[in-house]
Amino acid sequence: MTPSLPDIMLGQVAALSAPMPPEAAGDYLVGRLGLVAMLSILAAQEAERGIDSRVWENAAIRDLLARAAAPADCPAAADLTWSALDRENACLRRSLIDVHVAAEEAGDAVLDLEILHLYQEMAERRRLDLPPTP
Amino acid sequence: MILADQLAAYLTRTAGQPVEVRNLARISGGASRETYRYDAVLLGETRGYILRRDPPGSLIDTDRRLEFLAIRSFEPKGVAAPRAILLEETGAELQRPFFIMERVEGGTAASAFQTDPYGAHAAAIGERFFSIMGAIAGEAIEGLPILEVLDPPAPQDCWRRELDYWSGVIDADEEHPQPIVRAAIRRLRRDPPPPPAKLAVVHGDYRTGNFLHDGAGHIVALLDWEMAHIGDPLEDLAWAMDPLWTQVGDPRISGMVPRDQALAIWRRASGLDIDLRALKWWSLFASVKGQAIWTSAAREWRASGMIEPILGVSGWYTARRQDQILADQLLTWSAP
Repeated sequence: MTPSLPDIMLGQVAALSAPMPPEAAGDYLVGRLGLVAMLSILAAQEAERGIDSRVWENAAIRDLLARAAAPADCPAAADLTWSALDRENACLRRSLIDVHVAAEEAGDAVLDLEILHLYQEMAERRRLDLPPTP
Repeated sequence: MILADQLAAYLTRTAGQPVEVRNLARISGGASRETYRYDAVLLGETRGYILRRDPPGSLIDTDRRLEFLAIRSFEPKGVAAPRAILLEETGAELQRPFFIMERVEGGTAASAFQTDPYGAHAAAIGERFFSIMGAIAGEAIEGLPILEVLDPPAPQDCWRRELDYWSGVIDADEEHPQPIVRAAIRRLRRDPPPPPAKLAVVHGDYRTGNFLHDGAGHIVALLDWEMAHIGDPLEDLAWAMDPLWTQVGDPRISGMVPRDQALAIWRRASGLDIDLRALKWWSLFASVKGQAIWTSAAREWRASGMIEPILGVSGWYTARRQDQILADQLLTWSAP
């Protein structure tokens, strides 16, 4: 899912090195730096858990599609880089959307519920925890 | 030429008198427009103003005339809207379109990410927050200045117009497939809400963080009217109560008051009843709309060189939190 962690880290550099006009000094700049700090904390979480959550999600979607008799025609990621895993994930998610639409149109409540539970776990595993902000 | 000089040149030309601009400073004020505070000195008198200028790129594509007229619609009604002074759609000396409002003194806006943002005054803020929202909902739309730029929909079309618009935003801006929000959109289309009892002005971004409060339990100004439109008043209620705006584990809406109390305040202030089935629809819709905005944020963040961290936060953290909220809601929605 975009942005990826490499995007975020490049963005941190871009944000910190962008020239600011004089009227941006003061509270606005302080607030902006606070957001950069927050992104750094979230990036640390993603660095720790992000690859694991993508590997899990890709396997979980493949498994569900196979059980739904609609095996995915998506090449497996060639390595464990963010970009390779995200390419595989995009293909798998498109297949999952198609299978979900078909389940809804067929009135297949069992498969629908299984997919909704999968969505919940996908979202939970990609969770980022906001640090307490006074 | 720096912005303060550009603004002084514009004000001097349009006032026909020398105007001096002092203390110009950018402030955080919504991600869709650049917001500045400044003092203007004219004929020896100093007054405080707010400048809202279109940015080169924006989180939300909105019309500044609409925002200007929305504020004009409610400032005379005592709805804590600042007084809108001037609209310049050509950009003139400032190069990008802008408008100017009177500055409301003595107020601060809480961050949407803040823990316990209103402290001991939470209940008082909640009372005012939902009362003002109810007052906007209860206001007759006939004759309001905002109708100069808006066509009221037929009541039965409110839901479709909003859902079409925001699902279209996702279609246009999505960079990675999003099965969760797609499922929510399909659910909403299959099971539309009943039409509203009355049409109302919908603020469009009525939530914690979008008003100034005085730190003593009073709301002094409601901000960010840029997504105002005519529609079902439950839309604002559902948006304000989206779990996104509430810290995880806090039983109060946005750290203010519990849900049942919020609904009771809104009913009393609006004079309207709440159809809970319709509110459920608008609640899922609120999360779809949120995800559309965060999807646009991610695209805009990349397109503008990744220099605005608020767009990075919105397109990343907020999008992921919204997916959790959507997934939870889908599990309590009816089966296909």
